[in-house]
Amino acid sequence: MLQVLTANRLIDGTVVYLAPSGAWVESLSKARVFESKPDAETALAVGTEAERRQLIVHAYLFEVLQAHDDLRPVRQREIIRAAGPSVRRDLGKQAAA
Amino acid sequence: MYRYDEFDQRAVDERVEQFAGQIARRLSGELTEDEFKPLRLMNGLYLQLHAYMLRVAIPYGTLSSRQLHMLAHIARTWDKGYGHFTTRQNLQFNWPRLADVPEILRALASVEMHAIQTSGNCIRNVTSDHFAGAAADEVEDPRIWSEIIRQWSTFHPEFSYLPRKFKIAVTASSRDRTALRVHDIGVAIRRSDSGRNVFDVWVGGGQGRTPIIGHLVGDGIAAEDLLAYLEAIMRVYNQHGRRDNIYKARIKILVHQIGAGDMRRQVAVEFEQVKASGHVTIPQAEIDRIAAYFQPPAFETLPDEDLREARRVPGFAAWHDTNVARHKVPGYAIVTISLKPVGGIPGDASADQMDLVAELAKAFSFDEIRVTHEQNLVLAHVRQRDLPALWRKLTVAGLATANHGLISDIIACPGLDYCDLANARSISIAQAISTRFADLERQRMIGELKLKISGCINACGHHHVGHIGILGVDKKGVEFYQLSLGGSGDESTSLGEILGPAFGEAEVPDAIETLVDTYISLRHDGERFLDTYRRVGIQPFREKLYASH
Repeated sequence: MLQVLTANRLIDGTVVYLAPSGAWVESLSKARVFESKPDAETALAVGTEAERRQLIVHAYLFEVLQAHDDLRPVRQREIIRAAGPSVRRDLGKQAAA
Repeated sequence: MYRYDEFDQRAVDERVEQFAGQIARRLSGELTEDEFKPLRLMNGLYLQLHAYMLRVAIPYGTLSSRQLHMLAHIARTWDKGYGHFTTRQNLQFNWPRLADVPEILRALASVEMHAIQTSGNCIRNVTSDHFAGAAADEVEDPRIWSEIIRQWSTFHPEFSYLPRKFKIAVTASSRDRTALRVHDIGVAIRRSDSGRNVFDVWVGGGQGRTPIIGHLVGDGIAAEDLLAYLEAIMRVYNQHGRRDNIYKARIKILVHQIGAGDMRRQVAVEFEQVKASGHVTIPQAEIDRIAAYFQPPAFETLPDEDLREARRVPGFAAWHDTNVARHKVPGYAIVTISLKPVGGIPGDASADQMDLVAELAKAFSFDEIRVTHEQNLVLAHVRQRDLPALWRKLTVAGLATANHGLISDIIACPGLDYCDLANARSISIAQAISTRFADLERQRMIGELKLKISGCINACGHHHVGHIGILGVDKKGVEFYQLSLGGSGDESTSLGEILGPAFGEAEVPDAIETLVDTYISLRHDGERFLDTYRRVGIQPFREKLYASH
């Protein structure tokens, strides 16, 4: 099971993902993918530390599928978080894409 | 309308600065999210899927033009150019930055607005009849009592940490436009046999995962005792309401468990004690002071207008028939501005549309706008002779959709497109249905049909009281929709009955089409959808709907 660590950025609530560099990035395609359970648990500890440092709020893991070079969330909720409202394509991350 | 006195203004200003300090402490790290969350919720600030969301209180759904202009200004300056009117007559901004919230709240306070009582386990923003002060059948303006209840409940120390949120609606008409009996408390003002206005108090209604119709607990309460009676109810709830289980914490569960009779007895005992203390007996002078804010505007003496000529203009007659209601004063009319264009997002209004409606209210309706729980706007006092001019201006702005009360006048919560609690999208389903039924002539042929959609069991989209209700559910990450029939939020309140297995997103418009066709084939002359359903029951609809499954 492939997983990505996500949260909302504290200052503006923007959806962010943990990148391989340890930074929090806005694009799901730049997120780090965790393949094993120990890796995922390590990632959660990174999330907790980022919460403590006032960077993000409510870090959690969600499931993704690898499709060619891209990542696609399994659940509709995360598809919408990654893109923006499905009923307003001019808003959210999809607007800048 | 009500204007803040120095105490109101100071209380709101101080609250803004208090919360600004709390935000600063959150951003500096002095407060953790666990510490901050209850504080932000007390100030109407949520964290949703994409961003923070600020829910602004619009007490009993009444706005001045100045206030609506300010909402438009906030939408442009700190949000993304629009706002969403909710089923509790509030407005939500979907994209504010946490760091900008103090400035937004200061802007709101400058026009006597705030976001207090829009979240948390307190008595929430009081809702009322959006036709208040204009309805021909009301015994008095229910906003007088809505405001009195607001003043009593705001920052009430005893009711700031209730077991759960608490919603109060007030009406003074025989025709219920507030969904009164699905509120924690519904206050219905009526004229008694002695000629005095008295208060019937319905308790323990609600929607959510356990929908229940409220019970008449207080019968004919005197005006001066209303707050004492409400305080007695709150005390019984505060004492016995469950705090160990969030799903059983609403007052409806308490009333359901102990029974309406026992609730009535306990409230009566508490009522005597509160009354004896005298601390919430309302002096007549205070009632008169509040009532003075809600005096009718300076209506002209006018005859009812002959609009036969205007009705020849294509489009006007349909709008006049559906979106214009009778006013209590001759020569005037009540106009509903639909926020449900074909394929649009129910309840959304752009900043430009807000500004336009504010200007139209100034020009045509004594500077006042109402927000309805059905997610539309109302200009309550329009001269009948101004209706053609008003309609033309609304048409240009895309605000003259002639569908009030018809199948495309859909209530829909924000659903999974915005809401952190949602299981499924609501708006996209509303859009698909309103597009399917885009033909207004067909909608009028179908007649009154209230369709309501919620994206989760919390039922913010009022699906339990929809003639057709739609509930979004999540099945292993995929959205499905459960249909129900026969709900109603009016004076003949009823809860919908589930039809059967849920449908996939793409199947919903066809399913609605089948239900409508079934109704058309069964209806008698003059019957609305709800009338036919109540006469024939659910079975004919169920058989047709699942015949091909």
